[in-house]
Formats: sequence, C-alpha cells, structure tokens
Amino acid sequence: MGHTNGPENRNPRGLMVGQSLGRVNDAVLIREAQGGNRTAFEELVRQYDQAVLRLALHLTGSESDAQDIYQEAFLKAYRNLGSFRFECSFYTWIYRIVTNLCLDLLRKRSVRKEDAPVVTDSSGEEYSLLDQVADDRSGASPERDLMRRELGARIAKALTKLTPRERMVFEMKHYQGLKLRTIGEILNTTEETAKNTLFRATQKLRAALADMR
Amino acid sequence: MNCEWVKENVTLYLYNELADDARHEMEQHCQRCVDCSGELESVRQFQTKMTALPQLEVSPNLLALSRVRLSEALESEVQATGWKRFVFDPTSWFRQFKFSPALAMLVFMVGFGGGIGTMYRYAGTNPIPVPSGVPEQHPEQEASIASIQNIQVDPTSNQVEIKYNKTFPETRRGNINDPVVQKLLLYAARNNYNSGVRMDSVDLLTKDASSQDVREALTYSLRYDNNPGVRLKALEGLSSAVRDDVRVRNAVLDALLNDSNPGVRLGALHALEPARADTSVRQALRQLAKEDPNDSIRTQSRRVLATMPEID
Repeated sequence: MGHTNGPENRNPRGLMVGQSLGRVNDAVLIREAQGGNRTAFEELVRQYDQAVLRLALHLTGSESDAQDIYQEAFLKAYRNLGSFRFECSFYTWIYRIVTNLCLDLLRKRSVRKEDAPVVTDSSGEEYSLLDQVADDRSGASPERDLMRRELGARIAKALTKLTPRERMVFEMKHYQGLKLRTIGEILNTTEETAKNTLFRATQKLRAALADMR
Repeated sequence: MNCEWVKENVTLYLYNELADDARHEMEQHCQRCVDCSGELESVRQFQTKMTALPQLEVSPNLLALSRVRLSEALESEVQATGWKRFVFDPTSWFRQFKFSPALAMLVFMVGFGGGIGTMYRYAGTNPIPVPSGVPEQHPEQEASIASIQNIQVDPTSNQVEIKYNKTFPETRRGNINDPVVQKLLLYAARNNYNSGVRMDSVDLLTKDASSQDVREALTYSLRYDNNPGVRLKALEGLSSAVRDDVRVRNAVLDALLNDSNPGVRLGALHALEPARADTSVRQALRQLAKEDPNDSIRTQSRRVLATMPEID
C-alpha cells in the first residue's frame, strides 16, 4: 500500500524518534484492527491498557469499578474503531473514551454523596485507604505517622469535593503528568479551559489543607 | 510581570507548564518579591502534602485479569467498520440460525468486496441515488473473488453454504462534486499503492477542504503518506483551516516538528503563521529558532517570532 508509515517519514530527533516510531506502529496496528484483525487490536490495547487501568483505579478507588471501566472503554473502542480517522492520536482517542466513562461514574457518585476514603478490591473487600500507608522508614515516629494518615484522609475527602471535571483535570495533571494541552484535547476543550480548571482544583485543595502541616 | 500574574500562574510554573521565557521571568520576579516568593513556597508545600495520600497501583494480577476478561468479551464482539456502516449486514442479526436460505440470498445480494463503486451495484432495493455520471462496467472481464466470509454445512443434507465477496473493476465518471466521486477520491487518498494516484486524488480534494471528511483525509495524508509531494499537497489544502481547526493545526505542527522532508517542514511553518498566537505554536517556534539543525527553519522561525507581540 502507499502508507507503510515507515520511519523514513519522520525526522529522528532524540525522544521524538521513540514517539514517532510508536505512532507509526500504532497506525499499522490500527489499520489492521480496523480490517477486523483482533490480534492487532489486542496488541494495541496492550500499549495503553496499564495507563487506562491506573487512571480508572485512581479515580474510582475500586478495583472492580476500574475493571468495569477498562472493559467498557476497550469494547467501545473495538466497536467504533472504524470511525477513528487519525484526526488525533490513538492515545487521545482512547483516553477520551475512558475519561468520559470515569466522569459519568464520578457524577453518579457525587449525586449519591459518597465521600468515604475507602477502596474495594476485586473480591469486594473494603478497606480504608489509610491502611495502605506503610511507613517503613526507620525512626518514624508514631505521632508523625498519625499526622500523615490524617492528612491522607483529609486529602481524600477534599478530592471528593472537587467537581468531576476538576477531579479529572487534577488527576491527569498531578498524578498522570499529562500536559494541559493534551488534557484539553482529551476533554474536547481548550488548553486555556484546562488551565483554569486546574487552577480552581488546586485552589480548592489548598484551602482544604491549609491548616495541616 | 506583576504579582497578580504570578499568583495566577505559580501553579502552572510548578507543574512545568509555562513557556521558557515566562518561567524565567517568574523566577526573576520571585527572587525580588517576598509575597510572590511566599506564594511559590506555599504551592510547593501543597504539592508535597499531596504525597501523603497513598496512590493505588495496578497489580500484575489485576492487569492480567482485566486482559483475560476483555479477550473473552471480544470473542463475541462485531466491529462496525468500513462498508458495514453503510450497508445492512444480516449475518450478525441471524447468527443463531445455522442454515438460512433467505440469509444466503440476502448476503449474496449485499455482499461486495474491494472498491466502493461496487457498493452501488449490490445495495439491495434502495441503491444510493447517483446525481450525475454513469458507472461503466466491463462485462467481458470476469469478477474475481476477494474473500471467503463463511462456510456452513447443513448436517441434514449435503448442502454447503459459502458466503463470499467478489470484486468487479468499474469506472466512474462525473463532476468533482458528485458524492460518489468524492467518496472514491477519499478512498484513493488513503488506500492506493500508487503515489501518482494518491497525488491526483489529494490534489482534487484540496479544491474544497471545508468538508470534515476531506480534512480528515488530508490530515491523514500529511501525517502518514510516505511521499513528500503528496504530504506537501495535503498541507496546501489544509492551510486555510489551520487558524480555526485545532486538529488540523496539531497535524501541521506535528509536520513542522517531525517531518523528514525540509520542504514539508517549511511549508508547515508558513501554514502556521496565521495561528502563531497559539501557545503550542509559539513554543515550537522558540525551540526551532534556538536549535533546529536546518538553517532555513531556524531563520524562518526567528522571522515569525519577530512579528509576534510581547507576552505581557
């Protein structure tokens, strides 16, 4: 075909080489998957699924909810792969699907006013997030440990007070390290709007934690 | 630079989102201003505090389980791709029936392979209307089999049902605005193995790049065609959309930074001039002006930057 998408199209410049080759491989896999090649689709999934699962897990706090979002996102991607026309990167496209699913869940939760900082594992067992804090630093004082746990609980509670969109932008910027421009593309908005949303989110969180050291 | 600006942007600074020059000015300002330096320190402490909340990580077990579940679910999924979006496919609807003469007849009627032109021959009772132009058929050439879809055997008899797709060569003549001609051009821009054919189709598509389908095809050609002439032609067609369409702008920016052909990169640079106020464009131009190995790119980047207004 005319679009071998080989590296000869792209300018080798340091890190860009990895990015360019990654995109080239994606394009080949996507075309294959669009032609009905399920193996190609599964290979494509493997390039993104860990990041997707991590995002869903951070936002939902629940392994089973994260698994459900993972499943729904990639099935949706599979069903609609034919409508993907390379107008954006596959990364942006799949993240759009995942963030929309996560936003729906966060909106439902904010209606139910769930704000306990607990997580549920795949067997349905619930446990407090604070139990996850394993302080194995030698010489750590019980008092400091308790303060850290209290701070952790305060942060968890403060995060639930953000709007779903603020939470999403904050998660993607602070925990996932994405550029605001990318976040804007994923949420189908502008970089400027993403910046303003991040600013509001950090202001709210700072206010909630202001008296804690 | 004033304190209000600093307070609004200190978060962006710590998240490494400021342009290099703004970053430098922020640092210079905070060295002189006690209040702003305090604000910077406060946001730093906030970021440190946020580490107190443990973050769940994906265990290998969770990932493996998720993959297995997905793989199982994909077994029964059907993609809505290509021509299936336009033509009713009864096979998924009647999948529970092992043998159906009606199904076989219907599939035979709607099946097709290869070029889009044959869709109009097999579109069943409601063919897509053809406003102008006439397809020419070549009856003396035999049809070739494109693919075998399915083989089923009726256990009660020796009957075998085979569903297959055929291709027929066809020619379409018509006005460039003919929807059928447009569809064929879009297909040719992406799929033909002959770069000359791709060049011709992209050239025709550039005459009117206002339609979303055409922009997507041209963007694809700009990103992925391995012929620089085709990429340059696609760029020409996209230039008018750079200012208003962020997806086009991103594709052109990507070409400026990553294309292997200097001519395409220079073309991308000129195409981006109307959008030079965009932060990403500015950042890219600064980087290129400083360190691009190509003299023309460096010079032209500096020229465009020189025409920009100051930041504040």
